[in-house]
Amino acid sequence: MRLCILFLLFWITPIQAASADTPIRFGLTAVVITENLRFLDQWSQYLEHKIGRKVEFVQRRSYREVMDLLASGAIDFAWICGYPYIQAKDLDLLQLLTVPIYRGSPHYHSYIIVHESSPYKRFSDLKGRSFAFSDPDSNSGFLYPLALIAKRGETPENYFRQTFFTFNHAETVQAVAEQVADGGAVDSYIWEYIAVFRPQMTEKTRIIKKSPSFGFPPIVNRVGVDAGTVSQMRRTLEEMVDDVSGKQLLDSLKLDGFGSYADSLFNEIRALEHAVQKTNPRHSVVKTD
Amino acid sequence: MALFNTTSWSLAFKLSLTITAVVTSVGFLIGILMVVQDWKRFQNDLAEKALLLSESISITAPKAMLRKDYWSLYLSLKNMASKGPGARSEHEITDAMILDAEGMVQAHLHPAEHPIGLLFSPRDEDDKALFREAMTVRTPTVLSSGDFSKDGFQEGVVPLFSDQKYLGVVRVRLSVASLFEKTMSTAVIVLLSILLFVIIGSLLGTIVSRRVVGSLTAITRGLEAVGRGEMTDFSPIPVKEGGEIGRLSVTFNQIMSELAEKKMLEEEIAMSEKLVALGRITAGVAHEVNNPLAGLLNCIDTLRKHPNDKVLIDRYLPVIDQGLHRIKDIVHNLLVGLKIEESVEMITTGQVEKLHDLVLAEIGEREIDIIWNNTTDRDLFIPGKTEQIICNLLKNAVEIVPENGIVRFNMHQRGTSLVIEVSDNGPGVATNIRNQMFDPFFTTKPNGTGLGLWVVYRLVQSMQGVIEVKSEAGKGTTFLIELPVIHRRAA
Repeated sequence: MRLCILFLLFWITPIQAASADTPIRFGLTAVVITENLRFLDQWSQYLEHKIGRKVEFVQRRSYREVMDLLASGAIDFAWICGYPYIQAKDLDLLQLLTVPIYRGSPHYHSYIIVHESSPYKRFSDLKGRSFAFSDPDSNSGFLYPLALIAKRGETPENYFRQTFFTFNHAETVQAVAEQVADGGAVDSYIWEYIAVFRPQMTEKTRIIKKSPSFGFPPIVNRVGVDAGTVSQMRRTLEEMVDDVSGKQLLDSLKLDGFGSYADSLFNEIRALEHAVQKTNPRHSVVKTD
Repeated sequence: MALFNTTSWSLAFKLSLTITAVVTSVGFLIGILMVVQDWKRFQNDLAEKALLLSESISITAPKAMLRKDYWSLYLSLKNMASKGPGARSEHEITDAMILDAEGMVQAHLHPAEHPIGLLFSPRDEDDKALFREAMTVRTPTVLSSGDFSKDGFQEGVVPLFSDQKYLGVVRVRLSVASLFEKTMSTAVIVLLSILLFVIIGSLLGTIVSRRVVGSLTAITRGLEAVGRGEMTDFSPIPVKEGGEIGRLSVTFNQIMSELAEKKMLEEEIAMSEKLVALGRITAGVAHEVNNPLAGLLNCIDTLRKHPNDKVLIDRYLPVIDQGLHRIKDIVHNLLVGLKIEESVEMITTGQVEKLHDLVLAEIGEREIDIIWNNTTDRDLFIPGKTEQIICNLLKNAVEIVPENGIVRFNMHQRGTSLVIEVSDNGPGVATNIRNQMFDPFFTTKPNGTGLGLWVVYRLVQSMQGVIEVKSEAGKGTTFLIELPVIHRRAA
């Protein structure tokens, strides 16, 4: 597998480097609200203008699909969750490019939410209930609640009556708001984002637990993308805050900007993964697509 | 109550009522049929839709069920139920669910009431029965509430299989509420149109029946006029149409004009008969008065020539006296019964008895039987003129009967009426002269004045009595007179 990927990398890279016409492909996941196509058009145009090359956003349902695209070289950059980042980082598949700054810091949380009218007050109240996870590769939407259960020495299958993945933080909020699930775990950034643009949905949910802070879902580049493109992308993103249209785009994303941070930003997630694996090494084989 | 007595209703009213009733019932029948057909068609369409929706869910559901992807299952139901901006809101999904083989909820459109992973809890007994039925279904089926109500539904039930293993069932329930409203509004429109038709139909019916019955009413009025005897002032019925009614009108007009002509002819005949009678009276008076007058004038002439001839005077004065008395009698008899002759002289019924002797004297030597029977009380007061009536009738009877004839006199009381019956077994009255027998100066006797029966007639008339004559040729004649004259008894 690795050989295959390496081969692909060597094979694709020269072509991409050689041709300015080859678009830069940017993978997006559920860490950001991807429904607003007009915004994505504006952002890609902005990036194109700054970098001088065509930028295409590529969307997939799950993190895993995006990670596969990244591994196969079909995309060059991706905005992924901290959990797949640490997994892939260990395999030297990607590099940390830049980290969004949200409310002044590169951190976010996991929210455990329930329906606003439900009697549940703490996470333990959800035992024997139905629970919605966001994505099996999501830190806030899966790893964190998994760690909470693992701490109690249980598995999700035993702890909850029913669990399911929505593969999307926004849909987890919807699942809880519409009482398909009694509880759910979501990315705080997404929840707050929805609270601004679709408050009628978040109003139907109540946060019963807020996790410690984790490193914000970062933007990564595939190992093998030429250094020029990588640095150009990093610079472009981090300088968005300095011009008007870049600022407008950041406002739309409800972000303060992008900044370079050390890989240690994600050590809390690594610790979480470690804790979960210790209790339940089988968690990583949860069935997904 | 007369209002509800249908036999007293006019034909025009009955006819228009019948037309209205026919129009209404036909309209209602068609309307009900339309509404029922509409409703059935709607129901069938809805059932088909429910099944189609369930089947669309059943395509992807088994895979998601095996993966326990409850969220996809839920979204598939939700997306199906959500109405896009361009969606036709003809049906409303009230319930949609995916249950596993044990009846556990895998997804439900209303997750708050039906949480996933728990056994489906039916709302009520009916719902429970449906649930049981749905769980036994192994081929796509439609379950429906069946009844005509707003709460009715059509439910598409499609079982789920994966590699021939039964996984569960998809149930999609569509409400008939909007169809119900649609049907109701159709019904209202149909009812309103029927009402309109009824109004138009009734108006037309009234006009038609008036046209038809108008002629009949005119004929009826004409017949009523005939019944009252008013035929001459009849105005012909206007003939507005052909057909039976028209022909009837024409025929009726013809009959009426002929009747009117006949009536006029009759009146003319009556008038000429009156003139004839008058002529006869005049002639009679002239003749009867003229006869003695000639003799009288001769006597007076002779006496004037021989004023001192005592013998002549003695011979002629009685003649003049007799002649003048005859004229007086004639005039007296002619005036009988008229107001100027009316007297208030009363006699008792007992006084009638003396007439018996008088008649016996009149008969003299002839062989005639008088059978006298007076059963009245003798002290009843009756007008004096009654005597003359009886006397004249008896005289006539005695004169007419042959030798060995029988004359019967019968008088009795009937309430306040006096009934007199005089009969004989004479030759009877010839039929051709029966209507003349009471005319003045009409006589069949050589020396008669023709005033006897005339006097009887006038007297009876003046007393508001009734005369009846029964006569048969060769058998005799009976005069029956009833006089309403008994009011008091003699003191």
